[in-house]
Amino acid sequence: MRKNWWKILCVILLSWTFIAGLMVPMRPGVTSVTPYSAKVGDTIWLKADGYNTNWGGATKGKAWLHIDEFFKVEKAGKKMDSLNVFAIQSIDFKAINDQEVEFKFVIPQHLPLATKLENASLLVSVEGAEQALRPEAIAITQDSINAYRGKTFWNSKLDIHRQWHFEYPYRNILQETLRNTFFHVPMWFVMFTLFTIAIYHGIQYLRFRRRESDIKAVSFTQGGVLFGFLGLFTGGLWANYAWGQPFPLDIKIIMTYTALAIYLAYFILRGAFDDVEKKARISAVYSIFAFATLIPLLYVVPKLAPDSLHPGNGSNIAFGSQDLDNTMRLVFYPASLGWILLGVWIVTLVYRYKIIEEKLEMKMNG
Amino acid sequence: MKKVIFLIITLFLAFTNHLKAQTGSGDFMRNIGMIYVVIGVIIIIFIGIIAFLINLDRKLTKLENQIKENE
Repeated sequence: MRKNWWKILCVILLSWTFIAGLMVPMRPGVTSVTPYSAKVGDTIWLKADGYNTNWGGATKGKAWLHIDEFFKVEKAGKKMDSLNVFAIQSIDFKAINDQEVEFKFVIPQHLPLATKLENASLLVSVEGAEQALRPEAIAITQDSINAYRGKTFWNSKLDIHRQWHFEYPYRNILQETLRNTFFHVPMWFVMFTLFTIAIYHGIQYLRFRRRESDIKAVSFTQGGVLFGFLGLFTGGLWANYAWGQPFPLDIKIIMTYTALAIYLAYFILRGAFDDVEKKARISAVYSIFAFATLIPLLYVVPKLAPDSLHPGNGSNIAFGSQDLDNTMRLVFYPASLGWILLGVWIVTLVYRYKIIEEKLEMKMNG
Repeated sequence: MKKVIFLIITLFLAFTNHLKAQTGSGDFMRNIGMIYVVIGVIIIIFIGIIAFLINLDRKLTKLENQIKENE
């Protein structure tokens, strides 16, 4: 029991992953806004469709259109202070039901910036409900530019009060699939960890020529490939709904195919030799090269590429405040550790099987 | 074995059809903020790991039989 403490830890962490990963609710959000565009000087009724919202029956409500980075506003919300951004406030409000609400806006004569088109984000604040954000909700166009006058119009103060709840952030397009962060992403962490341990044992084999080291290296590589494919297929399902295509020609996905193909070749190489000693030696050397290509393929090339759909690659930022908020961190880090422990656990079973198989063969061959 | 797999697939399809009828939406997976995509991802991981373990189980049974024959 004392020796197996990490298995117990694995079960606890994965239980937490499934319970918290599936049961913690999403923060209210705005799924769509109509109309999509407006001209300066227009008076519009802006209709917002909500997700997880309880707007029905509300009598008081305010909304702001603001021209600024969406994440800056969301981050400031946790500190409950008011922000200085270019914003206008709604002049009328109408709650239709729990999911639909309308705001009347008078768009001023000029934009505060010297551009013909500017995207404005929407901040919805209905009494008795959590505030909801919609980044780049509406495109506002103007013909004549007068940023100085525009600044005098867009001077409303945002009144942000978003307390920290134990809730996941609402993200457009992703919606509930944000929870896949606890299932799809750790698969790659497991794969990478298992391959790292495999290369360690490969090197140990080359140094000391112990049979166990070779068997360990094979078992860990097998486990790594298993989790690599799980990551690939879970990603395929997720991408089908979030990006519109199961396996888009994204740089990270192409590099993953290459990396997995290299590791599959490892098993073909092993199958090609009958001599146990030779098989172990050559596959250990091969695995060093495979691992040496794995790092640039998965972690360097996608970062250097001009663009990628994956966060943290191309010009995207990952694992900053934008992708993981504090609630997600509380689940994501335990989930990663839990999945890694599960991967190691499965590999130990394979290793124990292979050891018995080897001993039996040796006994039968005399 | 084939019959069992066929039965499971049929049951799964029947169940999803039932849910479709209940929600009244054409695209089942996109309902409720696409929560079923998360369920699908968990099912893929589950099936992958279980298939791996079943394979290992079979190989172990073979080994056990070999040991029995030796004795």
